[in-house]
Amino acid sequence: MIYLDSAATSLQKPLSVGKAVHRAMYTAASTGRGAHKPAMLASEIVYNCREELAWLFNVSEPDNVVFTMNATHALNIAINSLVNSGTRVLISGYEHNSVTRPLYARGAQVIVARAPLFEPEAMVDSFRKTIDSADVVIFTHVSNVFGYILPIERLAALCRERGKPFIIDAAQSAGVLPIDFAALGADFIAMPGHKGLLGPQGTGVLLCGSEGKPLMQGGSGSNSALQEMPPFLPDRLEAGTLNVCGIAGLLEGVRYVKRRGISDIFAHEVALIRRLRHKLAAYQNILQFADETGDNQSGVLSVIIRDKDSSDAAAYLGDRGICVRSGLHCAPEAHRTAGTLNSGTVRLSVSPFTTQREIDTAAQALGKFAAIH
Amino acid sequence: MRLKYLIMCRSLTYAQRSARALENAGITAVVAKAPQGVTNAGCAYCVKVSEKRLQDAMRVMRASGLEITKVFELNASGEITEVKL
Repeated sequence: MIYLDSAATSLQKPLSVGKAVHRAMYTAASTGRGAHKPAMLASEIVYNCREELAWLFNVSEPDNVVFTMNATHALNIAINSLVNSGTRVLISGYEHNSVTRPLYARGAQVIVARAPLFEPEAMVDSFRKTIDSADVVIFTHVSNVFGYILPIERLAALCRERGKPFIIDAAQSAGVLPIDFAALGADFIAMPGHKGLLGPQGTGVLLCGSEGKPLMQGGSGSNSALQEMPPFLPDRLEAGTLNVCGIAGLLEGVRYVKRRGISDIFAHEVALIRRLRHKLAAYQNILQFADETGDNQSGVLSVIIRDKDSSDAAAYLGDRGICVRSGLHCAPEAHRTAGTLNSGTVRLSVSPFTTQREIDTAAQALGKFAAIH
Repeated sequence: MRLKYLIMCRSLTYAQRSARALENAGITAVVAKAPQGVTNAGCAYCVKVSEKRLQDAMRVMRASGLEITKVFELNASGEITEVKL
């Protein structure tokens, strides 16, 4: 089996991740719910993970690292904290439904800063022209459909300069690209634990630059006599029992990323995508959405096969043991921007464990499918 | 060595952070659940340190930017008294 759907969830994990999950399952109880050994072990695991994440993303205090179920959960907390009905929210034209649906549900006035794929200058211009009309700004770091790396440092600088609170969706970049929380100065950065950070599904992280408004209320293990959620982080945003087993796995995933190095992981993934592009270039009816400079694209490549349905392509590859994703990838806004809303795309996305041979096999199979009349 | 001073922390995470800072400075510190009687708001956590190291612990915590709200002394008979800071 060849797995090329890491933009959805990384399937290949370091062995230490699975071992840690299994160990925690039978030894660690619930953090902040007692002082006995299994509870304190759970607390130790969770704190170690907060500390590693704080180090990786340059967050000054581990207290500001909040655990969530996934990036969507983290984004919902962030959006719930800053957006009310009628709030004018400026977003990029590459946002996922995990941003646009919570905005829609809250009755926000959404303004889309649209700019063509792989043109960071145009993206910054588009934000610059519209930012004054917004109360809050949200942008993704990397498009989950096209792997387009947005110029987040410049967008963040623009938000700081204009005094606009902002949220960054790091779903595709955490563990793959450097993210400096302190330097960016975001109010919130949301990320999954189960993609580039190589943790298990059911883990997510919210880096908090401001206190935040609880999305859920419940037990926190602190200030139990009071009915309001505690005013301090992380307890304020972590109602209910944490996914300790998942966090134990995430801790090992983060340690792997730290050991291998983000720059090495990024270089590996970019090299694989370049190879894939080169191989697919031999097939004229495969249209690639690629950055010619190579500077603005991560380990994700979307393609369209002329006169073929993207889901047929994914099914064809799936029958041959090659796992890719087709359709809109839960990001219709990105397709609206790129002009692929009707066709969708076939998306191939790599991981730190993907090999050149796997890329070659996938390219050959996709080429064969494209040649079928 | 008897750990008889309880440095109150606003949350478990804060207690862990404090204990980590103290351990890094060579001061033995244990994260523990605070006795029920010393908190107005219900469940809370604290860091336990020895009498000998209390002053060092407070100095390290302040230097690390960690807030100290209350400190309690736990005597041999289990009675708890607040220490004036």
